[in-house]
Amino acid sequence: MHAYLAYLAKRIGQFLLVVAIGINLAYAITHLTPIDPVEQSVAAVTSYGNAAPDAINQMRQSLRELYGLAGSPLQQYATFWGRVLHADFGPSLSAFPTPVSTLIWRALPWTIGLLVTSTLIAWACGNYLGGLASYYRKSRTLKAVGIVAMMLHPIPYYIVALILLILFGYVVPILPVGGGAAMNLERGFTFDYIGSVAAHSVLPVASLVLVGIGSWFLGMRSLASNIVTEDYVAYAELAGVERSRILQSYVMRNALMPQVTGLAMSLGAIFNGAVITEKVFGYPGIGTLLIDAVYAGDYSLVLGVATISIVAVSAGVLIIDLLYPLLDPRVEAV
Amino acid sequence: MSVDTEPAATPALSVERLKAYYRTSHFGVSREVRAVDDVSFAIGKDEIYGLAGESSSGKTTLIKAIAGLVRPPLRIEDGSIRFAFLPGRRGLHLASPSEVQRVRWRHLSYIMQGSMSVLNPLRRVRDMFVDFAFDHMGLGRGAFARVVEAHLARVRLEPSVLKAYPHELSGGMRQRVTIALATICKPDFIIADEPTTALDVIVQKDVLDMLREIQREISSSMLFVTHDMGVHAHLTDRLGIMYAGRLVEDGRTVDIFARPRHPYTRHLVASLPRIGEDRIRQGLEGNPPNLADPPSGCRFHPRCALAMDICRREVPPMTQQNGHRVACFATGATGEQPQ
Amino acid sequence: MLAVLRDLVRHNPEFRIGLVLVLLVLTLAALSFASPYPELDVYVVPPDVPPSSAYWFGTTSRGQDVFWQVCTAIRHTLAFGLTVALVSRLISLGVGLLAGYKGGFVDRLLMSINDTFIVIPLFPVLVLFYFVLRDNMSWLALALIMSLLGWSYDARLIRSVAMSVKTREFTQTSVFSGMTTREILLREHLPYVLPIVFSTTLANMNWSIGLEVTLSVLGFTDINTPSIGGMIYWANQHTALVAGIWWWIAFPVIVVVMAFIGLFLLSVSLNEFIDPRSRLARMGQATS
Repeated sequence: MHAYLAYLAKRIGQFLLVVAIGINLAYAITHLTPIDPVEQSVAAVTSYGNAAPDAINQMRQSLRELYGLAGSPLQQYATFWGRVLHADFGPSLSAFPTPVSTLIWRALPWTIGLLVTSTLIAWACGNYLGGLASYYRKSRTLKAVGIVAMMLHPIPYYIVALILLILFGYVVPILPVGGGAAMNLERGFTFDYIGSVAAHSVLPVASLVLVGIGSWFLGMRSLASNIVTEDYVAYAELAGVERSRILQSYVMRNALMPQVTGLAMSLGAIFNGAVITEKVFGYPGIGTLLIDAVYAGDYSLVLGVATISIVAVSAGVLIIDLLYPLLDPRVEAV
Repeated sequence: MSVDTEPAATPALSVERLKAYYRTSHFGVSREVRAVDDVSFAIGKDEIYGLAGESSSGKTTLIKAIAGLVRPPLRIEDGSIRFAFLPGRRGLHLASPSEVQRVRWRHLSYIMQGSMSVLNPLRRVRDMFVDFAFDHMGLGRGAFARVVEAHLARVRLEPSVLKAYPHELSGGMRQRVTIALATICKPDFIIADEPTTALDVIVQKDVLDMLREIQREISSSMLFVTHDMGVHAHLTDRLGIMYAGRLVEDGRTVDIFARPRHPYTRHLVASLPRIGEDRIRQGLEGNPPNLADPPSGCRFHPRCALAMDICRREVPPMTQQNGHRVACFATGATGEQPQ
Repeated sequence: MLAVLRDLVRHNPEFRIGLVLVLLVLTLAALSFASPYPELDVYVVPPDVPPSSAYWFGTTSRGQDVFWQVCTAIRHTLAFGLTVALVSRLISLGVGLLAGYKGGFVDRLLMSINDTFIVIPLFPVLVLFYFVLRDNMSWLALALIMSLLGWSYDARLIRSVAMSVKTREFTQTSVFSGMTTREILLREHLPYVLPIVFSTTLANMNWSIGLEVTLSVLGFTDINTPSIGGMIYWANQHTALVAGIWWWIAFPVIVVVMAFIGLFLLSVSLNEFIDPRSRLARMGQATS
């Protein structure tokens, strides 16, 4: 138990380090630039017509405070961190005066739902099929699956999403291609709403799964192919243990460990994919939020989403890291 | 050629003219490695037969073939491997999957070298017993568990070992687990492949004695493979010597050590230290041959002090005297008398 | 070297297909130098013409010949990918070799930083860069930024090779003979690491091109220089799909997908060729 606590402390330390570096990076990028969001907002307002200089200065002041840009650079840094720890990123420009955090909390569940569902499906199916393919080498179906996986795997998420959109949105329009649920339904745990959510998530999930499943399949297949040559598998075969038992408990179970680590390492990439896929399908998650924010020049929203993304992905990695010793009895942390 | 062995009843295992080659073809280059080339011997019931020879002598391939672990690039080209418990089949590789399933572990089990790597690191010991033996014993779960515990006691292991993972046990304990696994179904035939090589000498003796005890108890035959002649002297009833894919000598262990006939065997026996002796040992010159391109005729002739012209041209046949066989033109029945 | 290539072409189907695809794409890229239209010009040909004998890939709503645009675009995209891959190789090599060889505190420090970069989701960070740099985001700037962010995954691979090489005897000999760390890393260890570097270069190109296409499609890069993502961006701006101008999107997508699959197959087959265990597995299967 003591060893696990030490491991826990180390991983949490790493998590905090990543979050700190990431947020500082985001802060640095936004603050070391010549663009001043306050001036941008002022310019946007004054482009609609004239206003009294006093009023403009007042606006400048309040905007400066709202954006945390009042005071010296050090004060700004302190203000920034003070607010971040309260998950307060100030108001959104494009949806003024809605605070950024409200927009993010509204969009985050959609993204998390999409990510968790598609990652679990892709990881589980990919690993399972890959394990089968490594053991039943001669199967034609599995070889065909392998070739499809090889073709899909290198294609970036955007292109697959685009192709799916074209196919099922225009060519054979059987699935809805916009939004998270039908617009005229009320949110709630009703069958109608849940059904609508499910229908709208089919294409985004399918897009993410198609790209993701290839890489897990290929990874598992090559890992398991090496494991199949291990002594303990040969021994189990010599003992006449049934093939299905060998496949499950001797091959796949042992190949799973590196795949869990791989999952932790790819969370960042999967997140990137989810972000762009959301935009293609107009899915109301933080991906769409981020991109629309960029188009609208909404400084605080962009900063807020970037920060939350970093924290969310790092938290995901932390959770996986903490689960790992519980799955592998060889790790001396339990 | 039928083999005249003792005891004369149906042997537990009869290998005749076995040829097993590796054929590889990669990037346009083909090679054929004649790892087992025309080997014949037999093992009786309730007998421990040792197989000696250095690495690349073909012993590993031989036991793979006997155990039915034949997969490309390994192929059995010719010959037969007859087990008493599987009449009518010329080898496990030719039997149907259901027959193989019935026979494996219940009639034929295997003790492999490298106890760390043969046990699944992610599986507890008791689960491995269930995987390997439960289906064969036909007992209920509770009865099975009791049998396993009793069996573990026989190899002097506590029941607490059942809950452990392999990496939590010492080398000696792991090897005893593999012995327990291999013997719990009381098989007719056990193949032991260098089971004590990775252990230190004291544990080695322990394990060897344990093996002999169990073998006597369950009356199974054993094929014991190791390059260590000392182990053979200690444990085996009969002994076969392999060199470069061929069986060069075979007979009762006492006969082989007292009167080794093949020049190679003589070197092997002479290499063993004896108490009171302090003469300098002579190494054998040269290297074991490349099995992809072996020497013509008798494969030992390049290193043999007694080599004659015929040795280069023809393969010496096995000749036998009093159950002691040797394949040598110089020292066989056609040559000099054993001294 | 040529013998290796010849063997690969003859016996490895993945390598063959990958090579064919990549050569096709490279041919198109090279052809772009023969383009009759300057790459930035618009409205030089009648717009919205479907593929025909006059215009093989059709024309865009902006009056450009899709065929020549695609050639130029793939050239820019490939050049971009190659630049990012090369620059980030330098960083991964430096970090990986140093961490693997030095071990101890240096290793832990470098790996902490490395793991940070692996975990941080790059897309939001890149978007953030674009947001603040806007029109100053030239191709070179983007390439530089991506190189600075994309070295971490491969640095770990190189580090593990470096660690296994460190324990070999010739390293000890070099140390005893008084070679400096830099000399040892460059002269002794580098050759062992190069095969991995080569195959990861191809994989890295796929990654950077993929990211570039994604960013360009959203308009987050310099969309005036033709690139594959840029073409799709303009096509979306002109609602090509709805207007039925499918060829404007289809051909860039097809060509870039060919590039992705080709580079991937090459990298996979090279990896397999280098890894001794997979060679043994293949030898075992290829018998009569």
